[in-house]
Amino acid sequence: MASRERNGAEIAISAAVVALALFVFEQLSSIPADGGYSAVGPRFAPMIVGVGLLAIGLLLLRQALTGGWRDMAPAPDEPLHGPSFAWIAGGLALQMAIIGVVGFTVASTLLFAAVARGFGSRRPLHDAIVGAIVAIAVFLFFTRVLGLSLPSSPIRII
Amino acid sequence: MGGLEGLAHGFSIAITAANLLWAFVGCLLGTAVGVLPGVGPAVTIALLLPLTTQLEPTSALIMFCGVYYGAMYGGSTTSILLNTPGESASIATSLEGNAMAKRGRAGPALATAAIGSFVAGTIATILVTLVAPPIAEWGLSFGPAEKFSLIVLAFMTISAVLGQSALRGFASLFFGLFLGLIGTDAMSGQIRFAMGIQELYDGIDVVVVAVGLFAIGETLFVASHDRRAVETVERIKGSLWMSAEDFKRSVGPWLRGTAIGFPFGTMPAGGAEIPTFLSYATEKRLNKGPDKFGEGAIEGVAGPEAANNASVTAALIPLLTLGLPTSATAAIILTGFQQYGIQPGPLLFTTQADLVWALIASLYIGNVMLLVLNLPMAGVWARLLTIPRPMLYAGIVVFATISAYGMRNSWFDLFLLAFFGLVGYAMKRWDIPVAPCLVAMILGPRADTELRRALQISQSDFSVFFTRPISAALLAIALALVVVPAAMRWRASRRARANAPTA
Repeated sequence: MASRERNGAEIAISAAVVALALFVFEQLSSIPADGGYSAVGPRFAPMIVGVGLLAIGLLLLRQALTGGWRDMAPAPDEPLHGPSFAWIAGGLALQMAIIGVVGFTVASTLLFAAVARGFGSRRPLHDAIVGAIVAIAVFLFFTRVLGLSLPSSPIRII
Repeated sequence: MGGLEGLAHGFSIAITAANLLWAFVGCLLGTAVGVLPGVGPAVTIALLLPLTTQLEPTSALIMFCGVYYGAMYGGSTTSILLNTPGESASIATSLEGNAMAKRGRAGPALATAAIGSFVAGTIATILVTLVAPPIAEWGLSFGPAEKFSLIVLAFMTISAVLGQSALRGFASLFFGLFLGLIGTDAMSGQIRFAMGIQELYDGIDVVVVAVGLFAIGETLFVASHDRRAVETVERIKGSLWMSAEDFKRSVGPWLRGTAIGFPFGTMPAGGAEIPTFLSYATEKRLNKGPDKFGEGAIEGVAGPEAANNASVTAALIPLLTLGLPTSATAAIILTGFQQYGIQPGPLLFTTQADLVWALIASLYIGNVMLLVLNLPMAGVWARLLTIPRPMLYAGIVVFATISAYGMRNSWFDLFLLAFFGLVGYAMKRWDIPVAPCLVAMILGPRADTELRRALQISQSDFSVFFTRPISAALLAIALALVVVPAAMRWRASRRARANAPTA
């Protein structure tokens, strides 16, 4: 039920913290221990962080397994709406995949429409048009005002 | 340079046309992002960081600070007119503010918020002017050991004081410390945790982390958990001005809110939320006015709005004098300094006196600008609230991805942004605070450096941290902050369990 589902996520996050700690320890050996003139070298801080993450991860895991994390804020009123989440995450993945090929304007227009869809919009054409205008405005802002270089779209809109 | 002499000099710089313009741009943007839900001052300043390559440091930092406290002004408009607050430091305001608007008293609510913000901001700026120089002078005596212990203290307060659970605060803190370790070590030149990925050799950019955790994480959360929320924007009816009685009832809460907010801003407790709730509770207890709390009492708007402005202004004291950010937004502003190779700290008041004093002078100017921007133009800002949510959040995401992509034109940064978006969603959903992670990521490498410097000087003797009095005191406070509440909570929970075995 609801509480079991929540505990599953808590166990997963706790385990991820433990896994991150193990990753830190695993990487330690590849950091040269040469500390120069100091007693502690570039390995020292990672070791502290690894120990801390391990202790925190294990404590979180214990809480998750024994009745759930303590002092939690109330869960959101609505359970996760999967399709909304998927539209936005998918939009981000799509933009990542195609931005190098189709350029910034087209990729961002599609991302805009996908996020709007995730928020319940049912007017893809309208969203795409607004998205294109926003994308071009943002492009001009970043290239002209902030001075960043962005690849312009091969479809020369600007 | 003493406080007043420095301030006079600062005004002469802040009053130039360019700096006035950037202060205005900052205040304008700050008000806008304060009004808009889904985007806050931390994300906005992070998105604007590339401007540091275009502007001179004084102008850029004046603008960043304008965004920071401008958001506190704008936030009140949303919390009064909409049933959901624009950002977290305005939640307390929304309790009475929205009730007032429903009763047709939106005008006086907006007015007491704006004037209260102005009063608190100005008093807090005067205190900054007077208090900052002596603290900076005191900070000059700090060696690497003291600096390290001070950062440790900041880590402890931001993770143990903020949020429901110290344990989850520490989880966020250590995740941030880990992120800060990735890349080339400043002391030895060794590359750590890059896993052979070249994009990671320079470390992970703080902009990607901040924008991912806040903007993308928030978007995912709102889209998937907050779909049915019906948002009704209350109309502003009647006069925007307060009656003489409203004014009389507001003065006390303004001053008390300032007194509560200011000390909280100077402590690394993660921002302006806590003092706003304290102020709200204080006004509720003291309330003798004609309106009950819950039905739209003006005192409940005046107090918290003063508290959040006093708090964000006070946050500049530890930031400028000791280089210590006390909130996520202050941490991003610190990054702004670092983009220019400027390290905020005690030396700032001697080596960058022009910059510091121009910045402080601009706070006085900015507060006047914000009063004018917010009070007569509240209706204009309210129109921002009518932007449909799908368009608003889609725009935020496009903006965020482009800022990440624009740095190196690499899809890898988009990947990192999306990854931190997922992490930000999980942190929000499962109640893990975000501020400790950002502060740790930014201060962690410095703690590492100061630690090793201290040990170099002491010839590897770890006792320096405990034998130097200031360092020992800072560490003792840090330890107490973690141990005492944990012990108290443990005792309380044992007693609660003994009384009510249902939990």
